[in-house]
Amino acid sequence: MRFLLLVLLLCGARWVVAQPNELHVALWVAEAKTARPGSDGERQNGGLYQFNAQLAREICRRMKARCVMENVLFGEILPGVEARLFDLGFGNYLRTPEREKRVAFSESIWNSSSRLLGRVANKRRLSARFGPDVALDGLRDVRLGGIAESRQMAYLESIAGARGLTLSKARTMAEAIALLRDGEVDYCLLPMLTAYELLRHETPGIFEFSGPPLLDHGLGGSVHIALAKDSEALRLAVNQAILAMRADGTYHRLLHQNFPFSLE
Amino acid sequence: MNLSAIPGFHGIRAGRAFALLAACFVLTFGAMVTLLVLDQQRVLEATGHLQEQTVPEIIRYQRLARNLEQLRQEGERVFSAHTPQSRQQAMFVVMLVASHPSVLEHPESAALARETERFLNDVMYRSATDSKAFVTYHEEWQRLAARLSVQVDDVSIQGINLANGDLNEVAATMGLARYKVAAALGLVGLFLLLFLVLLRKHLIEPLQRIDRALSTLSVEQPSPTFQPSAMREIHAVEEAIGELHASLVQNEKARVALEELANNDGLTRLTNRRHFMLLADAELLRAQRYERPVTVGMADLDHFKNLNDGYGHAAGDIVLCALAQLMRDTFRQSDMIGRYGGEEFAFLFPETSLVEAHVLAERLRVRAAGYNIELPDGRTVRVSMSIGLADASTGSLEMALNRADDALYEAKRQGRNRVVQAPVGEQRLLADDL
Repeated sequence: MRFLLLVLLLCGARWVVAQPNELHVALWVAEAKTARPGSDGERQNGGLYQFNAQLAREICRRMKARCVMENVLFGEILPGVEARLFDLGFGNYLRTPEREKRVAFSESIWNSSSRLLGRVANKRRLSARFGPDVALDGLRDVRLGGIAESRQMAYLESIAGARGLTLSKARTMAEAIALLRDGEVDYCLLPMLTAYELLRHETPGIFEFSGPPLLDHGLGGSVHIALAKDSEALRLAVNQAILAMRADGTYHRLLHQNFPFSLE
Repeated sequence: MNLSAIPGFHGIRAGRAFALLAACFVLTFGAMVTLLVLDQQRVLEATGHLQEQTVPEIIRYQRLARNLEQLRQEGERVFSAHTPQSRQQAMFVVMLVASHPSVLEHPESAALARETERFLNDVMYRSATDSKAFVTYHEEWQRLAARLSVQVDDVSIQGINLANGDLNEVAATMGLARYKVAAALGLVGLFLLLFLVLLRKHLIEPLQRIDRALSTLSVEQPSPTFQPSAMREIHAVEEAIGELHASLVQNEKARVALEELANNDGLTRLTNRRHFMLLADAELLRAQRYERPVTVGMADLDHFKNLNDGYGHAAGDIVLCALAQLMRDTFRQSDMIGRYGGEEFAFLFPETSLVEAHVLAERLRVRAAGYNIELPDGRTVRVSMSIGLADASTGSLEMALNRADDALYEAKRQGRNRVVQAPVGEQRLLADDL
């Protein structure tokens, strides 16, 4: 009887010790219908979203943390992290001074740039006004779209007044594509990888990129995971996990599983 | 190496000299070690720079090369695709790669990627109206693809070359450090050699000289002389040895004086009774051991009390001294003479029979009897002496002296101023009694 009690006590102690920290992880989904707790955003989106989910799981495993994944819209991630609703935000965030005032950032997970995306037919029409290679710097009095709360939209808002731009905000990438398809905007300024994620499912010849890829004004550079400002220990643990994944090749295996090209 | 020749080094304390040498060694060696530490620091900084900055930069270049190579491969896919969908897919990847920050950050690569994207985009446009566009422009694409391949190689080499700067610095520093280590080891060896030379020259050799001087130090030898030492301590020891020799000589003189006082009679300078007995006993034993002839004698001045009473004790002393000198002059060098007490004298004649001793004693008696002894007041006195002889070849010294004393008494009884031999038979009788 004593032995049985001892075994039960040890098992209980082990359960208490082995209970991992629980982390709430926000994953960015492309479509609003998948943005709900428990929905299978990974399966529905694939590609970038599957990569983010796999990356989150691997980081949690290496930190010995139990992670609760939640699919949310892009515009909800940063406020959620700021309000401590989420511990980690996988929103593929470019690091900007404004965002750094609100949240902390992990090590870089990949690099990104922004580019105009538009319909082929629109480009032919606008080429008559702005030349054969339509670039953002030369656009005047056109309708542009972007993802709400994104760095691209923030930049467009900063130049819209001076250039007579009419802006439309989309909650998701799918809505941005819909804006283009429906002719409500001439171009959308989007992060390249995210745009590719949706365009690979579109019929070829309808959409195309225009103008040079953009890095300045916070439109390109390294992409990070968002964390709460005062969670330094968590940030260090996440960084350590990312560095370890890079060192043992896990990171690159995840990349090659999800993309036909390098994100770095 | 002669330190005395160095100005200001002569007379320096050995401890200070070696402390100075050790300080020089420590300072010089410390400087070498500091230089090595600085080299090590440079190597650590260079390797740290290599690890923290250069290697990530190399990785960045490798990624750029990989992206450019992928750009070329996707371009090939645009030309070789069998369906519009796969061609469009390849074109999107071309755009993505051409838009990637790693490509955009490298101006040459960004320009080439942009040119590639425009070319492929243009061919795509033309293919909408010209079904042979991809065949027409394939040769031009191959030239562009070749330029991409060259760019891939250039970027790879540029990345690898980044490490050369750090590695060359590490190699140069390590090469320099090797010479410094060799110099430091040479310096250690040089200092050790110098230390051993100085140790031998200024400590070991002087100590060996001091040891030799001390082992031969005696009053018979002159005081040892040393060459001036460069070390004060050694010089002090050498001076102490000279002082020790002087002290030994002084002690020997005192010992001789004390021995003179202890063994000789203060008035006549003859051997006193105690010392005479010691010397005579030793000679007697030697003679008896080798069965050699030996004779003892006793002498007494005749009427010496009357001389003292008539001329005073001072005159008596002068007479005693004069007769003692006469004995020394008359007897042989090997004969022993002692003042036995008052006006009595004892003799021992080695290697001399009783008859031969009688001749010697008779000579003394005759010379004494005719010897005019001048007193300080100008008067002259003569003193005769009676002498008794006894053979000492058997029996003890005391017995022989007793028989000589008996013979002396017999001489006195017979009228003084004569030599009488103790009868030999009496000696044997006494010896048999013993």
